[in-house]
Amino acid sequence: MLERARESRWFSRAVLFCVAAVVFTAFGLGGTAAGDLFAPLLGPRDLEAEAGFGRDLLVGLLLAGVFVANLEFIRLLLFRFQVLVVWAELLALFYIFVQSFDRNFGVIFEVGRSGVSNLSFLITTGAFTTIYVSLIAIVIACVLALLGALGKLSSNGAAYALATFYISFFRGTPLLLQVVLIYTGFAQLGFVLEAVPAGITALALCYGAYMAEIFRAGIEGVPGGQREAAAAMGLKPALIFRKIVFPQAMRLIVPPTGNQFIAMLKDSSLVSVVGVWELTKTAQVLGKRDFQVFEFLIAAAVIYWIMSVVFEVLQSRLEAYYGKGDRR
Amino acid sequence: MNRFVKLGTAALLTSALAALAIPAAQAGATLDRVMSTKTLTMSSDPEYPPQSFLNDNNEMDGFDVDVGKEIAKRLGAELEIVTPSWDIITGGNWGGRWDMSVGSMTPTKKRAEVLNFPAVYYYTPAAFAVYEDSKIDSLADLNGKTIGSCGGCTYDAYLMKNLEIDAEGAPPFSYEVTAGEIKTYETDTNAFDDLRLGDGTRLDAAFSALPTIQEAIKNGYPLKIVGKPAFYEPLSVATDKGDPEFDAKIAEIVAAMKADGTMKKLSEKWYGVDLTSLQ
Repeated sequence: MLERARESRWFSRAVLFCVAAVVFTAFGLGGTAAGDLFAPLLGPRDLEAEAGFGRDLLVGLLLAGVFVANLEFIRLLLFRFQVLVVWAELLALFYIFVQSFDRNFGVIFEVGRSGVSNLSFLITTGAFTTIYVSLIAIVIACVLALLGALGKLSSNGAAYALATFYISFFRGTPLLLQVVLIYTGFAQLGFVLEAVPAGITALALCYGAYMAEIFRAGIEGVPGGQREAAAAMGLKPALIFRKIVFPQAMRLIVPPTGNQFIAMLKDSSLVSVVGVWELTKTAQVLGKRDFQVFEFLIAAAVIYWIMSVVFEVLQSRLEAYYGKGDRR
Repeated sequence: MNRFVKLGTAALLTSALAALAIPAAQAGATLDRVMSTKTLTMSSDPEYPPQSFLNDNNEMDGFDVDVGKEIAKRLGAELEIVTPSWDIITGGNWGGRWDMSVGSMTPTKKRAEVLNFPAVYYYTPAAFAVYEDSKIDSLADLNGKTIGSCGGCTYDAYLMKNLEIDAEGAPPFSYEVTAGEIKTYETDTNAFDDLRLGDGTRLDAAFSALPTIQEAIKNGYPLKIVGKPAFYEPLSVATDKGDPEFDAKIAEIVAAMKADGTMKKLSEKWYGVDLTSLQ
């Protein structure tokens, strides 16, 4: 049995090696730096001519070997180190991919006459605005979501209608239109909101509508017996909601809300249409100055990503806190 | 739970009422506001070099910004700049958030329905750009090609053959190019980004302001200019409807800037040539 299992493992590895070799060869990487490794075998590469199939094949075999060896190496590690090594490798590949565009990424770190580097301007103006707009908006959205969820669960027809109308409208129209409507629409009524408050209002209203459904699901997800038991002990409805139902609902609410927040970080770029310099807008402005938009968009993407990672960590902490009742 | 629902309903209703109860802003008071606060607020596009952009000192700079600064100076006010998107500016009804747009805007008839154009301050030639090794070398060669421009702008209107320029002294033009396909972008510099990918990769040509194309070429874009300018467009300061006194003041200041050579100097500083009067 053992013997056969080992055999089949070697067999599957050989198949993997062959497939990888075909794929890497098909990329035709003989003309890259990897092709130069075979200079002792095939003679130096002629820079003018095509690399030729021989060189492509050798590079393909080499890369396939590295690929399979790498998989074998990772298999030997503990789970935690497997995760670290694969993350590091994927990051390295991402770096190589971006570098291969052959753009001038040095411009991101250039320091202008103001003595501020482009990167720090991107962070202090762009990322800072993105974070504070999103944070304020998510707090208001949570309040709106709770009200919307309670309205939808209510037996009062007016409250139910109000909540369903709100949720339906703000989920059913594009956020970009909502930003423009709130910014210009209210101004027609003489209620002139500045750009940042208008953007925060639109984000909060839109995400509040999505999150109302998350909150409703969370509240409904708490078993009815909890409520009945509390009522049997003579607690008042408001107290039951606050102390019994809501904390348990939070456990169900936190993960999808964290998801919504990370989505909002990026959707906040829509607020730039009314002139808010959040991260995407700032990247475009800096890029247009030197006609190097692409470089700055990549920088913005990496900053968004780092911010998301930070909030992913915060979310898992919060989950652990509200989940402590269920831990065994 | 019911109590919470009632509270929530009450809160929502109150905030909705509060929003409606705020009194409407006073109309026609732009000049008063500028003079009393000593600030003139102008809308500008930070992504449109050399007209307006963020310079390496992280300040707004460019031809339009310099013109705005000079107008503010002659009004005895400080210039402030806001950067709403082009659609929001051209939509009108600014609600007093900003007082004027010095944004190289062409005074078309459609726009004149929602905005006022008190003063034309310069004229821009509109030109076609192609990839540097393209075989296209006259306006006639552009017929049937895929051409990119900014959506909803005058270049787009020219390609769609419904451009109406509504300003005194606008030079006449004819439609010499019929595009095979028109691709529109948020701003015309985005069209350059597609054109630079290669001849015909996404675009065969881009249509934009001559100074903008020249700026892109200066910054290493592999483009070249084809043929003579397709049309000259007058570019005007724009204001919101409702304050003729402010409009008159702007017109007076711009006329004075042209008369004393300030405008010509600024044009030469940013474009290398005098674009403030028709040759």
